[in-house]
Amino acid sequence: MSYYRSVFRDETKLDINYIPYTLPHRETELRLLTEFFSFALQSPEKMTQRVIITGDVGTGKTALSQRFGASITQEANKRGINLHYVHVNCREYRGSLFMILQRAASVFHPNFPKRGYAAEELLSMLMQMLDEEKAHIIFTLDEFESLIENEGSEAVYKLTRLHETRQNKPQRLSLICILRNLKTIERLDLSTRSSLQSNIINLQKYSKQQLIDILAARVTMAFKPSAVPEDTVDMIAEEAMSENGNARFGIELLWRAGKYADAEELDAVTAECVRKAVSSIIPAMRKSDLETLNLHERLFLLGVARIFKQNKNAYVTLAEAEQTYAVICEEFNTSPVSHTQLWKNLRNLSAVGILKADVTAAGTRGRSTNVSLPRIPASELEKELKSLLEKQET
Amino acid sequence: MDVEDVFSSRLRMKILKLLDKMHELNASEIAHRLNVNYVVTAKHLNVLEKEGIINHKMFGRIRLYWLNENSPKTKAVQHLIKTWEQAN
Repeated sequence: MSYYRSVFRDETKLDINYIPYTLPHRETELRLLTEFFSFALQSPEKMTQRVIITGDVGTGKTALSQRFGASITQEANKRGINLHYVHVNCREYRGSLFMILQRAASVFHPNFPKRGYAAEELLSMLMQMLDEEKAHIIFTLDEFESLIENEGSEAVYKLTRLHETRQNKPQRLSLICILRNLKTIERLDLSTRSSLQSNIINLQKYSKQQLIDILAARVTMAFKPSAVPEDTVDMIAEEAMSENGNARFGIELLWRAGKYADAEELDAVTAECVRKAVSSIIPAMRKSDLETLNLHERLFLLGVARIFKQNKNAYVTLAEAEQTYAVICEEFNTSPVSHTQLWKNLRNLSAVGILKADVTAAGTRGRSTNVSLPRIPASELEKELKSLLEKQET
Repeated sequence: MDVEDVFSSRLRMKILKLLDKMHELNASEIAHRLNVNYVVTAKHLNVLEKEGIINHKMFGRIRLYWLNENSPKTKAVQHLIKTWEQAN
């Protein structure tokens, strides 16, 4: 009887929409955001807040905001405060203020009519809804750039200065604006800008070690014990680093590599699974890149491909790679180049982006070089190189 | 109004079934979904509201209607719709 075997315990923990309970390396920012909104739990109708969260792709802006939203609404529920957290991706709504407000109104009235009035009217209807429900809303505008690009200062001004037209009335609508770069704000006129820029949380790019911690936390949640070796996590973190420290990319890669492991009925997610995953996400190396290589670069690369095809490790030492290269040279009836020339060839292969060479200071006998094959599946590379080398021989 | 007067209208029953399903809708959406004109719909909504079976609230120019769940008449209507649908 056959049964389905999987390296996953719960792959939904790697879904883009899953927000973990804890966010490694964003604890300080989460505390700061919670501080900014502490009034919402203490004196909810007395004030509102505007916060900007900035950071590059994959730095955890959306996750931070959604984690905060889930926690604060949970706490508000416990205290009997009618607080809603509404997260809207402005790009999904084509940067239209009307459609963005529609989303907020639908929280209170799901079948609220979708046409027949202007955005400004809808904003006052939304305030009426909040007044009637005695509710406070934390309205998060993700990809805020899209709203600015589409609507300009006017729309943002309406949102930020809303309470000035409601003096002596309860304060109901707070804003969190998420964007990559503060420069986009410069497009707004001065008064709109000044109403926005009071509280800014800037998320710095993750370091490699931070990415390892994030991935390791997800591995624990999503995979069976021992299904993802440390080397694999390290390799994925390295890939995420090369994508500008993008944690989301790393998590997606982890999931995809797990899928390759399942497809091949492996017990663990190997380095080769990661290579396949990378080549399925990032356009794989072009064949023309291989064609520009000289004979000994191709032979060395073939040796590395063969090592990784048999070996499940993410890295191989240069000494091992050199030994295999020597054997390959015998096979192709040619003498190996000197160590210095080999080192130059390795640097070239690294510059082209096919291999990666990391000099490590580990061990007691000085430095050594680790060679990895981050992006191309070893089996695919071996096939391509063999066909090129056979052509070269004839 | 007597019960036979309220429920003698096919359109009123359709409005009640629609509101029972959708929870709340504005008048023109009700008219659109039932493929009848707005004036006729508004007239029937008015009858149902006078009987206390439905309520409405204004948001700017938008008039939203929903079943008045506090009314025993509404509860009877909802029970009738449910029983009828289950029996079919």
